[in-house]
Amino acid sequence: MISSDFTDATRTKNEPMIVLEHVDKFFGSFQALQDITMSVGRQEVVVVIGPSGSGKSTLIRCINRLEKHDRGRVVVDGIELTDDLRKIQEVRRETGMVFQQFNLFPHLSVLDNVTLAPRQVRRMPRDQAEELGKAMLARVRIPEQAHKYPGQLSGGQQQRVAIARSLAMQPKVMLFDEPTSALDPEMIKEVLEAMEELATSGMTMIVVTHEMGFARAVADRVVFMAEGQIVEVGSPEHFFSSPQEPRTKLFLSQIL
Amino acid sequence: MATLTAAPVRPPLVAWVRRHLLSGPLNTLLTLVFGAVFVAAGMAVVRFLANSDFTILRVNLALFMVGGFRRDELWRIAVAAWLLSLMGGLVGGLVAAAAAARARQTGVVVTGATGRGRWSVLRRFWPFGLFLVICLSLTETIQPTLVTVLGIGLAVGGYWLARRWPASWRRFLYLALPILGLAAYGVMASSGLGWSRWGGFHLNLFLTGAGLLLAFPFGILLALGRRSSLPVVKGIAVGYIEVIRGVPLITLLLMGVFALGFFLPSNLRPSDVTRVLVAITLFEAAYIAEVVRGGLQAVPSGQTEAAQALGLSPWKITRLIVLPQALRATIPAMVGQFISLFKDTTLVAAVGLGDVLAASSFANSQPAFNAQGLARITLPFVALAFWAGSYTMSREAKRLERRLGVGER
Repeated sequence: MISSDFTDATRTKNEPMIVLEHVDKFFGSFQALQDITMSVGRQEVVVVIGPSGSGKSTLIRCINRLEKHDRGRVVVDGIELTDDLRKIQEVRRETGMVFQQFNLFPHLSVLDNVTLAPRQVRRMPRDQAEELGKAMLARVRIPEQAHKYPGQLSGGQQQRVAIARSLAMQPKVMLFDEPTSALDPEMIKEVLEAMEELATSGMTMIVVTHEMGFARAVADRVVFMAEGQIVEVGSPEHFFSSPQEPRTKLFLSQIL
Repeated sequence: MATLTAAPVRPPLVAWVRRHLLSGPLNTLLTLVFGAVFVAAGMAVVRFLANSDFTILRVNLALFMVGGFRRDELWRIAVAAWLLSLMGGLVGGLVAAAAAARARQTGVVVTGATGRGRWSVLRRFWPFGLFLVICLSLTETIQPTLVTVLGIGLAVGGYWLARRWPASWRRFLYLALPILGLAAYGVMASSGLGWSRWGGFHLNLFLTGAGLLLAFPFGILLALGRRSSLPVVKGIAVGYIEVIRGVPLITLLLMGVFALGFFLPSNLRPSDVTRVLVAITLFEAAYIAEVVRGGLQAVPSGQTEAAQALGLSPWKITRLIVLPQALRATIPAMVGQFISLFKDTTLVAAVGLGDVLAASSFANSQPAFNAQGLARITLPFVALAFWAGSYTMSREAKRLERRLGVGER
């Protein structure tokens, strides 16, 4: 017991939460990721930006094995992702993901969406799971929608339910894949606020987004990707005020 | 809640007729032509009903309904029908109770879920009710009517019981359903007569029900197998589906009855009904598999990805996320398949089983009715039986679709 506590403690302190080493990913002959090496520390918020088709989504989908990387190493919380299905499940249990298209389960009520994984994966009893689920819905500020169906909610509400659904698994990492890109402008704010609250609470997050305001305000580090490669990494201040690479300057000049 | 009360605007009949039937010269002409056709057809039907002698149906009603089943064992069919009526009532009540509970929670009143008014059941099942009334009008004793009335009473009682059953004890009701079904089967099977004596419309209903019950899970497994990433599983599923779909049902029935014996050990001699049921199950599973596959393809890949990201196992993703959505999407095609099977059960007449169609030709060959062209009476009667069943199924499916559509994106 003591020794395991000790190793846990050292691991928590020294090891980063996510490590990618020389990761390559191909779709047929197209190389989507090229020699990606990066690490994300515990409680760190990393925002990934870049033009479309630059491999941002593929990058975070490799972290919970929705995509299988072809070369290199992906390690999440000390667990290396291999073909071992148990390891994959272990990582997925600790890693929440929020999608551009929400991907809520339309045949389940909001509360059932949120409690499904705790009950089925963590084997939590129903009443305990529902208590947890309601707490998570309250955290994203839609407790009153618990018994509705996803189809009855607005896009912003659906995306907040999706966040609550991931949080109900009490993950150590949250991955966001363009969470506001499918939303009407007036609903973007409520989702970004929920994400900001999450970042403040100390969640480790990787966020793929085009919301530069969010990146500037919330990110610890900004990663710029183009053509499957990491072009530049830096703090938001550095990144937005004095980018080094010409490719980064070009991108920023186009969007700002 | 602010309610707007407005007098319903209903144009009077004359205005309606003028607008829809007589709006132009061509429309008026069409109305007249088709009106004449309808009147002529209606008169022909009335003349047929008035001038025909339905003795052949009256005398042979039992033959049409139960075929060669021993008449002194008929009580078994009555008891089985009662048990199934009770089961049907319980299912209806449970569904209505669940819909009402959900409506309370979500605030969404599901139209058609609880029915509108006390007599909505009559409106729902009127084709079947019409057939029942016609059958009962042909009976000569009071017994069938009593059996029917008691059956309806049990169905209503079951519905009432399930609606008022305390929610916390509901699982016992769910448990009761398969028990009732098995009991009905037990009552029929314990006669020691075996399936070989089953016949008439009752055989068609049994083959439809049992065929669907057996083929449905098999079909789902085949559909999942066809999408498997394991080449062997996929190959077997594709091979099975394509071979079976390439063969007419009648061929499978003939093979089951006449050719299967050569492949079985000599001490194994399944009855003809068993053979036919196996053939129907094998056949139907392949078609159900293709219907289910269509539904599986309609579920977006994001659903699976979201479930994977939550850490659900592949089997749970299939069972809890993909299949419920896929099956919902297949209701229209599935009901078409069910209706088609229902009608296809008459093919068993071609392999010597005494179903309702075989009963009609048998009745026509009886000495008293031979060579009088009485097929004009018996065949419409058989058609009516199938129409009542098919149309009821189709209406119920539409209702189910409407109800399950709520909460969809």
